[in-house]
Amino acid sequence: MILFSRAAALALLLAAAALPARAETGAAAPSDPTKNGEILFATSCGWCHSDGGREAGKGPKLAGTTRDDAFIINRIKNGKPGAMPAWGKVFDDAQIENILHYIRSLPSK
Amino acid sequence: MRVKSRLIAFSAALVAGTMLGSVASMAQAVDAKRLEMAGHDSKDWLTYHSSYMGYDYSGLDQINTKTVKNLEVAWMHFPGRTTRGLQSMPLAADGVVYYSSSFSRVFAIDGASGKVLWSYVPKLDEDLIARQTHSPYNRGIAIGDGHVYVGTVDGRLIAIDMKTGQPAWDTKLVDSQKLTVGFTGAPLFVRGKVIIGSQGGEWPVQGTIFGVDAATGKQIWSFSTTAGTEEAKKSWGNDTWRIGGGGGWMPGTYDAETNTVWWGTANPDPLYDWAGADIKTQGARPGDNLYTTSVLALDPDTGKLKFYHQELPHDNWDFDSALGEFMMLDRGGKKYMVHVNKSGFIFVYDRANAKVENVWPIVHNYNFVKNIDPKTGELIGRRDFVAGPQQEPLCPAIAGGVSWNSGSYSPKSGLWYKVGNEWCITLEVVKTTPITEPQVQLNIGANFKMAPPPSGPIYGHLDARDPITGKLKWEVKYNAPPTASVLSTAGNLVFLPDAAGIIHAYDAETGKELWSHNDGVGHNGGIISYMAHGKQYIAVETGFGGLVGDDYGSMFGEPWKSMPRDAGALVVFGLGSDKMATK
Ligand code: HEC
Repeated sequence: MILFSRAAALALLLAAAALPARAETGAAAPSDPTKNGEILFATSCGWCHSDGGREAGKGPKLAGTTRDDAFIINRIKNGKPGAMPAWGKVFDDAQIENILHYIRSLPSK
Repeated sequence: MRVKSRLIAFSAALVAGTMLGSVASMAQAVDAKRLEMAGHDSKDWLTYHSSYMGYDYSGLDQINTKTVKNLEVAWMHFPGRTTRGLQSMPLAADGVVYYSSSFSRVFAIDGASGKVLWSYVPKLDEDLIARQTHSPYNRGIAIGDGHVYVGTVDGRLIAIDMKTGQPAWDTKLVDSQKLTVGFTGAPLFVRGKVIIGSQGGEWPVQGTIFGVDAATGKQIWSFSTTAGTEEAKKSWGNDTWRIGGGGGWMPGTYDAETNTVWWGTANPDPLYDWAGADIKTQGARPGDNLYTTSVLALDPDTGKLKFYHQELPHDNWDFDSALGEFMMLDRGGKKYMVHVNKSGFIFVYDRANAKVENVWPIVHNYNFVKNIDPKTGELIGRRDFVAGPQQEPLCPAIAGGVSWNSGSYSPKSGLWYKVGNEWCITLEVVKTTPITEPQVQLNIGANFKMAPPPSGPIYGHLDARDPITGKLKWEVKYNAPPTASVLSTAGNLVFLPDAAGIIHAYDAETGKELWSHNDGVGHNGGIISYMAHGKQYIAVETGFGGLVGDDYGSMFGEPWKSMPRDAGALVVFGLGSDKMATK
């Protein structure tokens, strides 16, 4: 027997959908791909990729990575079970490109 | 002689049969009354923290300071697919152990032999799990009225028949496919209701606590931890309560005397606001952000809020109150509730109204506040941020001055045994935009890195303290902070399963190490003691990984660097039968 408590789920769904119109956000300079990628990174990636990807933490250091673009894009889209979540259904290709720009902009020392 | 041996075999079978029969008939129902009567001398472990008193303590004493040297592995159970290790708290009733593992798998096992009585493997939304961060671990179950209850990361609460392992009902409570978060925490059974809190925290959702009918699975009430009352909504500028985070990802406890459920709530998002000193009027979520990082007293029948205390108004440090550690202590005619905040500050409340009676720190390194007023609970000299790199590291680290696993209070020694963590983070606050479309995602709002505290290298410590005053009796230090729960027993022992994989037994009065055993992989879950067939056992969960432990490889090297993140087992220790005599 599956009891789907519709009202509660719906309420939560609505709550998530209705973004506060006036909340101050950091939606700065989306025209600059690196800056845009930097903000996305600090929103969702920085917890595991320490110091904005400059150091190893829960995930590896990304600054100076020798991986090619295809590998990085694939990892971001599909993640790795038990280690890194998949972002392919969260970010569109342009956003992932921006994140790639940001990773490539990190100093490789 | 043939006849004779047959007779012996026959009578042996008879004896075995009667024994089995008597075990079965000994098993009484686990119902509200039994749960409320379960005190600190119980032979069972009926609820997450052993009993509603919240002590994580066993009244058994066959294993004690004299016999512990003879402790050996009695049996093990491998649940398989233990991604990020076992993180739950086993339960035990009438000699049967019930426990959950990653992906909400549930097992019932004969506590003496390790024989599997039944197993339950729910079908989960694997595509969703691939997108989740705080997943796929499960932190525990509840039992009551003939069912075992377990939450799932895809937003369901499931009841399983305690005898057969068959699902009884399966209720979808959270639209996890949209919100990305679901349930990892254990439910709490209270008088015919099952209460469970959703994840939230750094997720732009409204974290919610649910009350569900234990017999039918029908949802009876829900309480939004960001918008549960009009008062709460007013404490979020620009209606940011709609995506404030919160939630209650560990179970609270139940005060039967006043029919009150105590539940701790999680932090708001983004984790690090950039409003500087103007947190009331500016930034990402202006105001106090009720009821995040609070303890709530709820009516279990209606979900109505009776009273509360917000431990950290406008939490700017990810220091949840969601750690479900609540201890009911009576002293000098006063009735206290002791609660652990992730910052490492311990809040002592009057159980009648959550009025602050004392606040004390278990950690030595903190600078998110200068202090917390022990009389009022007011934050003194709080540290808020503007966007950009912060000069001084923030202490404690995001992983907490204490983590979510439990300490243990021994009514015998009067001491509380609890792990404190000494670590900090470097921090750069970044203005972010919450992601809610096409689905919700993490909203951290910072770049950071684990860093040593001003006192020296990172370390952890097991403290034996008076839970009300904080007075220290003894302390044991560890290079890597232990991440598992602690157990104390009437045998005057304290068991600490450490992060490297060693389980230690200490003398509860002195902290002297009396026994240890290498389980081969780190500990990040629960530990209990129970009685089966008249014999005491210690059951500990192994397996490593998670949002605290995943940093250990880069912080401490081996054994964590190469430690598997998918190897967990339930390891059960007992005394050899000939060895019990040395008691
Ligand atoms: C929950 C932690 C976590 C989060 C959140 C996370 N990652 Fe990862 N990431 C990891 C881990 C762990 C690995 C290593 C996987 C492996 O074993 O190969 C990894 C690997 C990677 C790699 C490949 C590195 C290499 O050289 O192999 C890239 C690129 C990457 N992550 C980018 C991102 C981006 C971009 C985001 C945010 C959109 C993100 N990650 C979010 C944990 C995380």
